[in-house]
Amino acid sequence: MRPFAYQRATDVPSAVAAGTGQAMYLGGGTNLVDLMRLGVATPEVLVDVTRVPFDTIEETPGGGLLIGAGVRNSDLAAHPLVLRNYPMLAQAVVAGGSGQIRNMATVAGNLLQRTRCSYFQDITKPCNKRVPGSGCPAREGDHRNLAILGHSEACVATHPSDMAVPLAALGAVVNVESSGGPRAIPMPGFHRLPGDAPERDTLLRPGDLVTAVELPALPFAARSRYRKVRDRASFAFAVVSVAAALDVADGVVRDCRIALGGVAHVPWRAERAEAALRGAPATAEEFARAAEAELAQASPLPRNAFKVPLARNVLVRTLLDLTAREDLTAAGDTGETS
Amino acid sequence: MTSGDLSRRRFFAQAAVASVGMTVPMSVEPGAPEADGLVEVAFTVNGKGERLRVDPRITLLDALRERLELTGTKKGCDRGQCGACTVHVDGRRVLSCLTLVATMDGKRLTTIEGLAKGDRLHPVQQAFIDCDGFQCGFCTPGQIMSAVAVLREGHAKSDEEIREAMSGNICRCGAYPNIVEAVKQARS
Amino acid sequence: MTSIQTEPRSGSRSGVGASVPRPDGTLKVTGEFAYSSDLWLDGMLWGATLRSPHPSAWIRSIDIGPALAMPGVFAVLTHEDVPGEKFYGLEHRDQPVLAVDQVRYQGEPVALVAADHPETARRAAAAIIVAYEPREAVVDPRRAAFDPSCPPVHPHGNLVRHQPVRVGDRFQAEVVVTGEYEVGMQDQAFLGPESGLAVPAEDGGVDLFIATQWLHVDQDQVAPCLGLPKEKVRLSLAGVGGAFGAREDLSMQIHASMLALRTGRPVKIVYGREESFFGHVHRHPAWMRYEHGATADGRLVYVRAEILLDGGAYCSTSRAVVGNAASLGVGPYEVDNVRIDAYGVYTNNPPCGAMRGFGAVQACYAYESQMDRLAEACGLSPVEIRIRNAVSQGSRLATGQVVDSPAPLAGMLRELAAMPLPGSTVTRRSITEPSSAKPSSAEPVPDLRSLPGGVSQTTHGEGVRRGVGYGVGIKNICFSEGFDDYSTARVRVELLGGEPHVLVHTAAAEVGQGLITVKAQIARTELGIDKVTVAPADTSVGSAGSSSASRQSYVTGGAVKAACEAVRERLDSLRAGDPELGLVELLERFGPVEETREYRHRPTFPMDPVTGQGDSHTQLALCVHRAVVDVDVELGLVKVVELAAVQDVGRILNPVALEGQIHGGTAQGLGLALMEEIQVRDGRVLNPSFTDYLIPTILDMPPMRLSILENPDPHAPYGLRGAGEPPTLSSTPAVAAAVRAATGLELPRVPIRPEDIALAAPS
Repeated sequence: MRPFAYQRATDVPSAVAAGTGQAMYLGGGTNLVDLMRLGVATPEVLVDVTRVPFDTIEETPGGGLLIGAGVRNSDLAAHPLVLRNYPMLAQAVVAGGSGQIRNMATVAGNLLQRTRCSYFQDITKPCNKRVPGSGCPAREGDHRNLAILGHSEACVATHPSDMAVPLAALGAVVNVESSGGPRAIPMPGFHRLPGDAPERDTLLRPGDLVTAVELPALPFAARSRYRKVRDRASFAFAVVSVAAALDVADGVVRDCRIALGGVAHVPWRAERAEAALRGAPATAEEFARAAEAELAQASPLPRNAFKVPLARNVLVRTLLDLTAREDLTAAGDTGETS
Repeated sequence: MTSGDLSRRRFFAQAAVASVGMTVPMSVEPGAPEADGLVEVAFTVNGKGERLRVDPRITLLDALRERLELTGTKKGCDRGQCGACTVHVDGRRVLSCLTLVATMDGKRLTTIEGLAKGDRLHPVQQAFIDCDGFQCGFCTPGQIMSAVAVLREGHAKSDEEIREAMSGNICRCGAYPNIVEAVKQARS
Repeated sequence: MTSIQTEPRSGSRSGVGASVPRPDGTLKVTGEFAYSSDLWLDGMLWGATLRSPHPSAWIRSIDIGPALAMPGVFAVLTHEDVPGEKFYGLEHRDQPVLAVDQVRYQGEPVALVAADHPETARRAAAAIIVAYEPREAVVDPRRAAFDPSCPPVHPHGNLVRHQPVRVGDRFQAEVVVTGEYEVGMQDQAFLGPESGLAVPAEDGGVDLFIATQWLHVDQDQVAPCLGLPKEKVRLSLAGVGGAFGAREDLSMQIHASMLALRTGRPVKIVYGREESFFGHVHRHPAWMRYEHGATADGRLVYVRAEILLDGGAYCSTSRAVVGNAASLGVGPYEVDNVRIDAYGVYTNNPPCGAMRGFGAVQACYAYESQMDRLAEACGLSPVEIRIRNAVSQGSRLATGQVVDSPAPLAGMLRELAAMPLPGSTVTRRSITEPSSAKPSSAEPVPDLRSLPGGVSQTTHGEGVRRGVGYGVGIKNICFSEGFDDYSTARVRVELLGGEPHVLVHTAAAEVGQGLITVKAQIARTELGIDKVTVAPADTSVGSAGSSSASRQSYVTGGAVKAACEAVRERLDSLRAGDPELGLVELLERFGPVEETREYRHRPTFPMDPVTGQGDSHTQLALCVHRAVVDVDVELGLVKVVELAAVQDVGRILNPVALEGQIHGGTAQGLGLALMEEIQVRDGRVLNPSFTDYLIPTILDMPPMRLSILENPDPHAPYGLRGAGEPPTLSSTPAVAAAVRAATGLELPRVPIRPEDIALAAPS
């Protein structure tokens, strides 16, 4: 690990003041500490923001939720308002990591996780995300877990977060503080596609501190699901995942929110599928058509082509489930209640 | 030779043939910033107050094992992928390999060495023995620390819930069926 | 390092056959047990290893100057610094201690550093400048085996061993099924990475504290490389964090010793997880082609097979692995006509060697897949086809060896098939059924964690199909093919505090299998003395052989039993003059009694190099598995619902420890079936981490239903039969067969991954 100066921040202003130059903020550390040990992340200053009191979850006047950046994943998943109003968010968080990791990981850190692409994590190999211009061996090499949507010549990495997928579906807003004042960046859009600058995962600028994530009021999200396909039953990253909320009346989709995980450089908001569904009958045929509409733009690589039918199947399955089931709280269906 | 003699490094240091050179201050990594780059950190481990000056790069796992001689917490992967390094911080189970010790100021830590009360094993420790919930034992400190927290959280109501809650602790010997039994025994 | 005093128990409750708890259990649950990575000496240095980034390259030069110049660095060594022999190996000394002018696999050790801090050592290793000239890497084992134009990885060519088996000449039958099968490269993935501490001694030798499977074979290889007589290289077993075959070859034993001797300081080396993937051999990946011929009513007429095992860059135990694949290549079935060719080859892929199951695992997956195909072709059930062809005592194997102890396979299969099946956890619902299907309130709500996908709740039952599959495995116990396979035990009876006390000393490695428990149980049973101490394993007593091949209860157990019997005889002869003399008085009068005995199993014989005939094995063990799986055919997810097993162990020494062995072997077989594979491309490992090399979690491992039989082997101590490996064989094909049954897919390769199912299933 490269040497760095360690600073403890006690509030947002002191954190922002410390977060200049080659500084990074330390939350749960589940990703950053690992990347520092691998030599992938090399901050000169590490600003410990775990004592900054942005660890609360509050209802907003508009009926949404304001989630502090430092809220631990396990607390987020267990929060009664999250469970009641945004079940897909609780489900996504519980589907990520392990109990120990969820006790550590923060909301902001989860959003800012970096890709698990093996070339990115190996400093002996080229990687445009880690060393711009060095090349991307993944395209020809190991890309079984990588992107099928929105990738570029420069980068085929995926965003690893589960939590970010329902946030993208919900249109959450990321609140950011910086020396230039506060900003609010909506999702999707907070994360960026790789293009020719894959080194930038998000719209954040150096020194920006994520302080909170705001969830809009979305009553029909009380009926929402997160589903994740992974290579073993637990403690593994998504191969493909889906977050979906569906508002159906009289057999017709009035509104919907859909995002895919494990398929792109960003939590992928499935806008084409949403557009295809709005006003359509809530039938298996229409769900399949919507999934096809979204995935028509997929450009899989040789060894991850299976993700296309997988994404279609899990998306259709999720939508069907949202229309079919009344008893959404089968045993084991809920989040943690620590 | 009794078991007491054989615990960890102290026995080894006594029994070893060769002797001593200079003692290396383990937790100061080479190339660290000058003394002013070190971080003062005070916390309790298993009820005992500790105060360390550390290189900020040192993980809690390395500090426990190398500075505090608490080698019961194991390094299986050092990347948060196996759970062998699980400890409790303020009562919650976390991975010490991904925790910088510099962040632990004021925290209350419990490690596997802090569970037993004198010679009386913690009920979870006893249950792992009774149910043969381990073979090589390398993952066992992490399994037990996880199980204690899972039971405290109330996440052990069914076999499936126990499995889900314990799935962050890999056991390569495959003692899983007996680990489930051990958690159930400790629950009752 | 593990010396354990057991609590006094009455002979009947703590002898052979009782579920005696592990004497090291308290240490292990309190964190006090001393694993090799926990060892510490004040003033010790830390070693680090520079490894090759290339699978195949010439080394034109090595510049250690920049590393030596770094503060805190005490030594930087290359092959020129190896004091003695520059090559070592278990079967064939073809592996350089440090690369000599060339590297043959990615991760091959090239240079060593000792420094006062592990990070300094790592950085210094990185500062060594090696000029490599990469060359074509041989990465296709088929080419290595059969293409004469393939460059040789070693001067003597790429064939490590070709073992044919030839019997009979009738290779025509009414029903013929053929198949090609592949097994991926599995890793032992023990949780405690390689580590050890070398301490220079005043006599110019070295004391090595090491986690290993066989102290004496380490000593045999380390001493010549250090240029030292064996007695100056003393090894003691440090706590072992799992082994499963991966600690049979040397890792850093010579390296740490070289650094300690050079610096005059204790040197500790601990591999990290990534380095561990490069620091030990793996299970051979296999390519297999089988042809089974049978009568219309399903009786085997012939088996033809070609088995190709990729041994990677060095020999390790590849020869013996090939022998097992060949001699056990038809499985536990009676068949008169056999033509098998098993090949092991050198390539520039990672070296492969011992892993639990040892050559029998790969073949078992293939022949069991074939038996299922044959069952289908003959219109028989998978159980019935196996029963019709099952070996039994008196059967002649393809090698000509006669099964001369109980082998009740047909009965085991009947018992397995008669076990109740687990109930359905699934409310089946088709994906084509939209909003209408609302489950009735009377229907039980499934626990979603029990379905494929678990807490990811990818299904509420839609797309889920159940499958049931069977697997049968036969494994040789102990070393085979003429190996002089023995163990040594020293047993001492003395008075401690006025009470009789037994000290059992062997060099056998406790790796988690529970051997120290069993040794103490045997001593109690044989001597009737409750207080037993098992001394730390080291090389101050004779070799115990390896903790592998499911052999330690048999061979070291046999040695402890023999030494106890000798002690008993001595006591009896001392007592001869005064039959009334009690044990305490006897020991008071004559002092401690100590006997050392070697124990050998019946000799075995090499396989004929042309026909494969010969009594190559001393004992054979059987295990049968039934797997019940739920497969989400649309998402490719498999949930193993239950694994049931029947195993004949001859005699149960410790029921709870035995069950643990069956659980563990089964779990590793499940991992091979569904997720575990070291992915190698162009000679390079793509996934050396526990995020990318997945091993089963507790949620992947189902409940097990076990039936353990005791049909004693008259040739073995207590009639026991080795138990640790057979379950590893049979669980893989059982799980694969169950997934096939659920999906109708061929699935000719393990591990089976979601894309193998989801892409193939109708959408």
